[in-house]
Amino acid sequence: MVAPPDNDVLWARALHFRHEDGSPGLSGVSLGVREGEILAVSGPRGSGKSTLLRCLSGLVRADDGEVWFNSVPVHTMGPAARERLRRDRFGWIDPAPVLVPELNVWENAALPLMLRGTGRRRAKAAALEWLERLDVGDRARKHPVELTHAERQRVCIARALAPAPSVLFADEPTAPLHRVDRAHVLRTLTTAARSHGITVVLATHEAQTAALADRTVSLLDGRCVRTVHLPPVSGPAESEGRAACSLSV
Amino acid sequence: MLALRLTLGAQPAVQIRRLLVAGASGGTGFLLLSALGHAMSHPDPAASALRLAWCTAPLAATVYLAVAVARTDPATRPRPGLSAVGLGPVKLMAISAATTAASCLLGSVLALLVFLQLRGDLTGMPLGGGAQQFLAAGRPLPLPAALTLLALVPLSASAAVAVSLRPREPVTGAGRAARAYGRFGAYRRTPALESFGAYGRFGRQLGAAARGRRTVTEAPAREEDGTQDEAAEETADGSPAVVPPPVPTAAPSGLPWGVAVLAVGLAVEALTSRTGSEGSPAAFLGLALTSLGLALVGPGLAHLCGRLLQAVRPGALRLLAGRVLMTEATRIGRPLGVVCAVVSAAYAMASLHDRDDPSAGPLVVLGVLLVAGCTVATLLTAAVEAKQAHADTTASLRRLGAPAGTLRRAAALRAVALLALFGPLTVAVAELSAWPLGG
Repeated sequence: MVAPPDNDVLWARALHFRHEDGSPGLSGVSLGVREGEILAVSGPRGSGKSTLLRCLSGLVRADDGEVWFNSVPVHTMGPAARERLRRDRFGWIDPAPVLVPELNVWENAALPLMLRGTGRRRAKAAALEWLERLDVGDRARKHPVELTHAERQRVCIARALAPAPSVLFADEPTAPLHRVDRAHVLRTLTTAARSHGITVVLATHEAQTAALADRTVSLLDGRCVRTVHLPPVSGPAESEGRAACSLSV
Repeated sequence: MLALRLTLGAQPAVQIRRLLVAGASGGTGFLLLSALGHAMSHPDPAASALRLAWCTAPLAATVYLAVAVARTDPATRPRPGLSAVGLGPVKLMAISAATTAASCLLGSVLALLVFLQLRGDLTGMPLGGGAQQFLAAGRPLPLPAALTLLALVPLSASAAVAVSLRPREPVTGAGRAARAYGRFGAYRRTPALESFGAYGRFGRQLGAAARGRRTVTEAPAREEDGTQDEAAEETADGSPAVVPPPVPTAAPSGLPWGVAVLAVGLAVEALTSRTGSEGSPAAFLGLALTSLGLALVGPGLAHLCGRLLQAVRPGALRLLAGRVLMTEATRIGRPLGVVCAVVSAAYAMASLHDRDDPSAGPLVVLGVLLVAGCTVATLLTAAVEAKQAHADTTASLRRLGAPAGTLRRAAALRAVALLALFGPLTVAVAELSAWPLGG
């Protein structure tokens, strides 16, 4: 077993994963995430981005292959150890903002800190600071149901950033948003990550989002690919269709 | 047929809940048939009518259980895929009602079979002894009357399920803020106290701030909320936007009413004991009022319990336990209040009845067991419903790395807090109501 290179904070080799129903998830994905970089995992829907993130963050265990975090093997850990690792070192952002509806906004953002055992006062201060930075500071005392979708997503990002994780996993954080909100959310996320040296693994299926990242890994059908080839354009009828499409964009 | 297919293909836990409904329906059906038998073998219609009237308690408990079970039934939850193939909310409501009717019918048929068996209509060997007076063996059973009584449980249960699961449109557009009642003639909500002196001196009537937050800032914000949410829902590629479920933040309003009814009930009981008319309708009225008061007080007390749990600088554990209890106050508190009412009423009745002749012993025991079992099962089903409603949040917390132990401890803390509040209350009310009745 070879130890990973030192500058990679997270490192995966030959990950194989098969879903419970037998459908293929990942087949031999290897990648390394460097300290403090923003890595985009791009690919169409169903290409295994979310599965890769779940394997890397220890939410599920890969059938075969290795995951190393800071020279610690994640693939050999038990569920309790992985849970502790996830709580203490990792952050997670869902595609849809799932907040605890009973708690108000700042309590939601402070919840991971309080779950780690931080005192209430310090957790509140950190949560309010991050909410302020993500432009939802004035909504701190409202309940999630009173917020718009984009604001809830920003609260989710604040919740993930407040405990200062080593690695932040963002699973298509902007999928259900309009483009204006999308750009805002992404900009705040990447700016915050860069200013605090947080490593981000960002799953996305669009090129614009991937452009914000330092590096992009493309996935297709559960494999890492260099380039994604589009089907060739042939015949005048289809090219006309293409032209009409590009006009509408 | 579809209801039957969905019924047969369910999980074991769901089947057990449905079997509970069938059992409760069977017990209630048997009690109803016994009332019929009593009427056939006794000439006095008043006594039989009283027996029939007592059957309303198990009937109500059965219907309550059936509604709770139908609410937790995963087969009849609205699903986008099913809606696309024509199984909309209305059809699902119909399926729910049909499923409930099927379980209740099963119970009713069993009750009829057991009753006929005990009468000796099937084997020719009637049960002797004290059971003779409610079985009316030897007389022909009037079939229409028996069928009418047996149809009572399935019909009322399905009707209650249909009413409680009827599809309701969410309120569209910006909801109106609750009207605040201020000084006489004041319909608008002002941000601060607006006394006459301030009104006159500082010209607050001229500024925009005096017109209230609702008109100045809140209304546009709400409007924006609506459009934004719609827009977000449209852009969702495939999956609809996740809007968090509306959380009732206000306390349930039944607490004062419940306390008042409870106090009136206890007062009536004390009064009847002083006037020496024990066992009279007034004493039962007092008992009924006490039970109703306990049932009404349930949600408010559960909310209070949650509020106390999360008071004074809570950490993650108390915060999760208390806030969730505050939200679930109505869902959990109502069946809990009913359980407390049943327990205290049973205690009081036991202290009243221990000197009576045990003539109708087995039937009374069956009735009490039915009511108690149904209410406890309803409470457990409500707990399952609350857990199902929180499944999304729990999954998200687990993704954040929340330890499973913390979530489990939060649930245990809720249960302990409820027990600590409702247990002594039930005992106290039971003692108080048994004391005058027992003389």
